Amino acid sequence: MNLTTFYLAVAGLILAPLLGGLAAGVDRVVTARLQSRMGPPLLQPFYDVGKLMSKVIAPASQWQGLFVRWALVASLASDVLLAAGGDVLMCFFIQAASACFVTLGAFSGSSPYSKLGAQRELFQMLSYEPVFLVCVLCMAKASGGFDAYSMMGASAQPLLFKMPLIIPGLVFVLLIKMRKSPFDLSACHHGHQELVRGVYTDYAGRDFALLEIAHWADVVVILWICSFLWATGPLQMLVVALIALFVVILIDNISARLTWRHMVKVAAPVALLLATVNLLWLYLE
Amino acid sequence: MFDAYIGVLVLWPLVAGLLCLVLRSPGVRSTLVLATGAILAIGALGVASQVPFTANPGFLSSETALKVAEGAAFVFPAYFLLRGLMEKHLLVIVFACLQLVLAVVGMLNMPEPQAIASAVVCDGLSLALVLIVAIAGSLICIYALPYMKRHEEHLHLKTSRQPGFFLVLLAFLGFMNGMALSNDLRMFEAFFEATTLCSFLLIGHDNTPEARKSAFRALWMNALGGVMLHSGILLIEKQFGIVDIHAIINPALWTGVSMLPIALLAVAGCVKAAQMPFQGWLLGAMVAPTPVSALLHSSTMVKAGVFLCLRLSPVLQSTNTGRILALAGAFTFFATAALALGQSNAKKILAYSTVSNLGLIIVCAGIGTPIAVAAGVVLMLVHAATKGLLFLCVGDMEQTIGSRDLEDLRGMIAKSPVTALAACAGAIGMVLPPLGMLVGKWATLEAAQADPVIMVFIALGSALAVVCWVRFAGTLMSGKSIEGPHAHTSALTNMPLLTMLASAIGLGMAAPWINALLLPDADAASALAGGWGVMPPLFVVAMLAWIIGMKVLGRQSSVPLASPYMAGLPSAEPNSFVGALGKSWVLTEGNEYATELFGEAKLTKLAGVLAGAFLLALVGGAFI
Repeated sequence: MNLTTFYLAVAGLILAPLLGGLAAGVDRVVTARLQSRMGPPLLQPFYDVGKLMSKVIAPASQWQGLFVRWALVASLASDVLLAAGGDVLMCFFIQAASACFVTLGAFSGSSPYSKLGAQRELFQMLSYEPVFLVCVLCMAKASGGFDAYSMMGASAQPLLFKMPLIIPGLVFVLLIKMRKSPFDLSACHHGHQELVRGVYTDYAGRDFALLEIAHWADVVVILWICSFLWATGPLQMLVVALIALFVVILIDNISARLTWRHMVKVAAPVALLLATVNLLWLYLE
Repeated sequence: MFDAYIGVLVLWPLVAGLLCLVLRSPGVRSTLVLATGAILAIGALGVASQVPFTANPGFLSSETALKVAEGAAFVFPAYFLLRGLMEKHLLVIVFACLQLVLAVVGMLNMPEPQAIASAVVCDGLSLALVLIVAIAGSLICIYALPYMKRHEEHLHLKTSRQPGFFLVLLAFLGFMNGMALSNDLRMFEAFFEATTLCSFLLIGHDNTPEARKSAFRALWMNALGGVMLHSGILLIEKQFGIVDIHAIINPALWTGVSMLPIALLAVAGCVKAAQMPFQGWLLGAMVAPTPVSALLHSSTMVKAGVFLCLRLSPVLQSTNTGRILALAGAFTFFATAALALGQSNAKKILAYSTVSNLGLIIVCAGIGTPIAVAAGVVLMLVHAATKGLLFLCVGDMEQTIGSRDLEDLRGMIAKSPVTALAACAGAIGMVLPPLGMLVGKWATLEAAQADPVIMVFIALGSALAVVCWVRFAGTLMSGKSIEGPHAHTSALTNMPLLTMLASAIGLGMAAPWINALLLPDADAASALAGGWGVMPPLFVVAMLAWIIGMKVLGRQSSVPLASPYMAGLPSAEPNSFVGALGKSWVLTEGNEYATELFGEAKLTKLAGVLAGAFLLALVGGAFI
């Protein structure tokens, strides 16, 4: 590891949560405009987290604080690994570990809503993980390496043209990871639903604020990996990430929630099949 | 010095077992088992300090030893045949007869093969198996001491059957060591068959109708595996006139020659490793007392199967036989991970997960490159520790509450915290980074680059396993606790459990270096600099997270907890609330097992047929 990698890693550690928070702010502004509302200021997510930080609320279980911090460390570690040009598959597995810790915290809580959310979160993981893995495998095959730098600096021609069929898969993954309709099954941004706030129900105060930061870091990892599709320069990557963000917000606003059975039986197999077909193409080339 | 170490590893467990049988007092038995643990550990470390080496100990290379091995080829099938006739079990009779026929053919029709240079060749792979047997195996035998005492109290036996049980249990370890070290194919086969006999006796130990049924299922499947093995060996003897394993796995020998013998040996390995469609015998094995299933799953028996396949890997590398074998392994990995997800029986979850992980090791063997094989050996080591741990935990919890259903184990953490937390650690160790199983899976995924289908199977199986194990840990940690007094604790239960936990985590930490040691020098340097290099920093991060988490845990343990949020008024009764119209509702919890997708009834048949087709293609492809 040389000094440049070190600086990049530190930059990833600090910038990723900030960018994730900004993305959440953009989300709230755009959603409000789509619904003809003014909406909160861009920095509202940061104000929210700041306020949550100052609150001390009795935890629902003694284990939750521990799992929240493990989740936060895992999410940040996956950002750092990506920034330092590490192995994208390992980055994916670490990010998945973060989701597992959130789920374990929900399991150890006491509210039935939290546990129902945990069950659904598991089925969400079951649905998106294979799809996302196969998408990453496509990128690795086309760019000739599993590390982030070789995917980012693969060729003059963007990876997108070699893997059009993974787009539905990536959108599917983004919808689930950003907790957006139609796949906001285990938790969504609105408390007024059949499972209250799902996996998040039992988290409160500072623990919840840390979880929110972990979520921002997660979103940045996924958007970053999506931006590999057009990695001819930093600006292009940013544009790809913004387009992906906008598409997700748009779908969120025009669709209603599906059931987990639909997700596991229809949506996930279709997305996986398309991505697999694309992978096979790349091998036949 | 080698001969002494090898003698200790192979013969001492048998001697200790016989002493257990003769001196029936429990005190002597405990001393003997503990001593065996210590002696095997010393033997294994002694071997480890010298590896790689070759040796010629008299008891494995002399004329008499070979005669004994030759005799074993008759004695074992004859015993199987006898038991099959007594039970009127057709499949056992058929396969035992076939084994006898092959033994006769071998004796009458075969020229004497070339003498082998050294009877024992110990390399990294053999050493890995010896370490697993000596350490994980001994720990399970120690755990068996208090377990079997309680087990027999529960059954109200007049005369203890423990002496016989411990004879087989300890002898099993010796046979496994012999199999790992011997370089003579005939010797290898004798030990291989001996493990079949041991597993048959152990599974049937309780002698209930269910135990007998499972024991005979294990017997016919493994006898079929024995037929495959023996015919493979006879073909090799006929074709090349050699029985030296390390000469046989030279790829140069197999260029332009039919791979049929290798395919037969690989299928024999798959049967032993309970790969689909032969997973039935391992699932049945869980009727036996927990130490037996722990031993079969983590350190003996099934490891013999993957050991054989990994041993063949140099020949399998970049051949069609290897490719099909890897594909069959990947399919088993995926299908049994799905089956595990649909189970609420904790021991069945463990059993399916074992089959699944062994499938992954078979993938490594089928790919056959040094990088893949190193990943396979790492997986084998870490799996032995992690799965051994999980079995011991589940067995202990089962004895505490009298049920092995995951729904009944809900909230176990309140009742027996040490065991439940160790089980959670084991479950996390199965799927999450930076622990060993995940790292091995990742290394396999990258080693399988040449084959997209295998990679997709691994991606699917990996996600299924994550869900299965997170749910397992989450259920044990669930907030709703079981009422009742704290469980019994015993040093002989906790010591093996915690040692196993420590070795599971320790092996995970050491994985990059173990991996590098197993690779040829050229690959080793690049492996540590490349992907594996990220593991040590990751462990530092994990330790940091551990420290932060423990601090918070300490803080939150001492504060009053919030009352559960139930979207209604909490009532005075625990776990109930006042809902609409003033009605009181009681909460119940349960996991979603999605049996409509992952149920055994549908999936087993379909997956079994497909997996069977793969194995048929393996043999048939090599035949043509």
